[in-house]
Amino acid sequence: MKHLKSINKKAKMLDQATGSEELDEVVAMQTVVGCTGVTDPGWEVDPFGGLGSLCQPMESDLYGCADACWWPAQVPDTMSTHPDWSSDVAKANQDWRKLDGIFPEEDK
Amino acid sequence: MNINKPNRTSRSVLLKGGALAWAQLAALSGLLTMATVSSAGDAQQIIRDRCLSCHSETGDRQAPFSRISQQRKTPEGWEMTLQRMQAIRGLKISPQEKRTLIKYLSDTQGLAPAETEGVRYVLEQNRNAVESLENQAIAGKCSVCHSGARVALQRRSEPEWEKLVHFHMAQFPTIELLAGARDHDWFEQTINEIVPELANSYPLNSTQWSDWKTVKKQPLTGSWRAVGWLPEKGEYEARFTVTALDSDYYNLDIRGKYADGSPLSGTGRALVYTGYEWRSNVTINGIKMRQVFAASEDGLAMEGRMFLRSANELGGAVRAVRESPDRSHILSISPSYLKQGERSVINIIGSRLYGKIALGHDLKVLKILSRSADRVSVLAEATEGASLGKHPVSIGSANGGYLAVYDRLARVEVTPTESIARVGGNGGKLAKQKVAYRAVGYAAGNDGQPGTEDDLRLGYMPAHWSLKAFDEVAEHDKDLLFAGTINSVTGVFIPGDAGPNPARKMSTNNVGQLAVVATVKDGNQQVSGDNHLLVTVPTFMFPVIQ
Ligand code: HEC
Ligand code: HEC
Repeated sequence: MKHLKSINKKAKMLDQATGSEELDEVVAMQTVVGCTGVTDPGWEVDPFGGLGSLCQPMESDLYGCADACWWPAQVPDTMSTHPDWSSDVAKANQDWRKLDGIFPEEDK
Repeated sequence: MNINKPNRTSRSVLLKGGALAWAQLAALSGLLTMATVSSAGDAQQIIRDRCLSCHSETGDRQAPFSRISQQRKTPEGWEMTLQRMQAIRGLKISPQEKRTLIKYLSDTQGLAPAETEGVRYVLEQNRNAVESLENQAIAGKCSVCHSGARVALQRRSEPEWEKLVHFHMAQFPTIELLAGARDHDWFEQTINEIVPELANSYPLNSTQWSDWKTVKKQPLTGSWRAVGWLPEKGEYEARFTVTALDSDYYNLDIRGKYADGSPLSGTGRALVYTGYEWRSNVTINGIKMRQVFAASEDGLAMEGRMFLRSANELGGAVRAVRESPDRSHILSISPSYLKQGERSVINIIGSRLYGKIALGHDLKVLKILSRSADRVSVLAEATEGASLGKHPVSIGSANGGYLAVYDRLARVEVTPTESIARVGGNGGKLAKQKVAYRAVGYAAGNDGQPGTEDDLRLGYMPAHWSLKAFDEVAEHDKDLLFAGTINSVTGVFIPGDAGPNPARKMSTNNVGQLAVVATVKDGNQQVSGDNHLLVTVPTFMFPVIQ
């Protein structure tokens, strides 16, 4: 909260929010569609609408941060859904260029 | 494996790459070999052949197949489920069978037009929508990882909503450890409190759906007049000539021009689901695009978004009306504003624009610059004392739209107001996610105060584009230097390169919090407005519905 002025509607509302229930609601209301902010840390944005408390650079400890299944809608969940996603990329901070997205299967 | 090709165009099945392959195949064979209009019997046989190794027949004719019969969703929703069946459950199905099933399931267990209202932005692949689900309890629990629209675009029986929660818990067990979930029994609370809310807000049986099933669906063949906007290119007008290849399956020919006079032409194929969900793949001036439209219930109009298949975020709204000898329409008036005491060229675009041109009180047509049934271009003048506000425009019997007469530009809004870009490229496999902006001008309205309810919307205005740091942190972290650049003329923002950046503190990514600034000239003054742009890390997941 320290780092955002109240121009950011979300941050302002969060300033006022006390319980985590409220926090859920506030962020759900204000985030651009499909963004994960309240997972603590969020993926695209932190719960206060900023970038300050994310795992950054994202590649430095990607697997530790993603912890197999922390952001399953943003980072492939290697625990049960996409076990092989990063198997060729041991060190994301060096080989991040090899990381691919998960796209719907293509018709052959 | 489902870790696919690097480029984003290869991603989809029916809805993108698949439909293209389909169109090519149909074109190659010279006749439509694909099962667009398979009988319900064929589709049910596919379910028996492909699904019953895991699912079962219930013996209930109203709901014959376990898990499958008690849900309704959009074509994209069905595609997503079948996608999961293939990717993680082990379903084996041919592309053709899959297309047949998606069509059949969307037609028989789809959503009524009214049931998709307000949440179509995910179908239209709009990345910058701000969600506001009505039910806050559902939003708080269910739009944490993905869009709330993904939820709001499904209808299920209560047991099916409950099974969906079980699926989440089993597939993503960390769900109960996330912020806002770990301080209570997430699973218990979701089952006991949220599932009934879901069943209540999004029920399997609705009057909208039972009503829609009885509506006689109109074939969408014929000539359509359309207007739209595309990033970098601007506003365009076009005619879509739609001919039937089979029921619900169409050939599409597009001819038109951009506002600067350059031609726009292309062809494509469209498939219509559920009687109104128009999906087409078109190639316009060599560029592959996709149309996601909803036809109106009477089949006389279509509305939606057309976007680049290689970059879904780049696209714009489209509006089309079906042409008929007994109807005329005004589709757009551009520019849509005229200042008191000034004159300017106004272009009126529509269909069958015959008869008297009327711009309303206090506005004069000084000269007709050009005129056809499709388009009328006039030099118009507003008197010094012309009344402020919206002046309806008509040509003969054609109505629609207005000219906003104003005194002074008071406020500029940057749309989208909230926006997101993602770093990419730099030798990696994921493309940058860009944002295309437009500026909307407002006059202050009767109260003389900009930013209040009665502001007069003037419409889209040409702007000069720039960026600034969003807040003090962004300034301190020099986000402006790293996060990306904007084209000062087109208003397209291109984010920075992917990867750690050693030039930044802790080698952080080229992310940042920026404000996009539009500066619009109004006589001798300049008015600026800004918004919020979050430049963030890539996403690795590209689901059909965000
Ligand atoms: C190899 C096993 C298997 C096959 C084959 C299979 N499914 Fe499934 N299906 C499952 C499992 C397991 C679930 C429950 C977990 C889930 O939702 O992913 C499920 C769930 C579903 C659901 C409910 C999803 C939800 O969101 O609640 C639908 C609908 C469905 N399947 C449709 C189909 C259709 C249609 C086919 C045939 C074209 C099919 N399935 C073939 C295993 C299978
Ligand atoms: C931990 C993150 C997370 C949360 C929280 C979450 N989801 Fe999901 N949800 C997912 C992911 C990931 C998928 C994609 C599954 C797949 O591969 O198809 C998904 C898929 C879905 C689907 C599509 C399923 C289908 O096949 O039709 C629906 C509907 C859905 N979620 C509803 C909900 C609801 C309702 C809630 C709240 C109770 C919720 N989600 C909460 C991660 C989440």
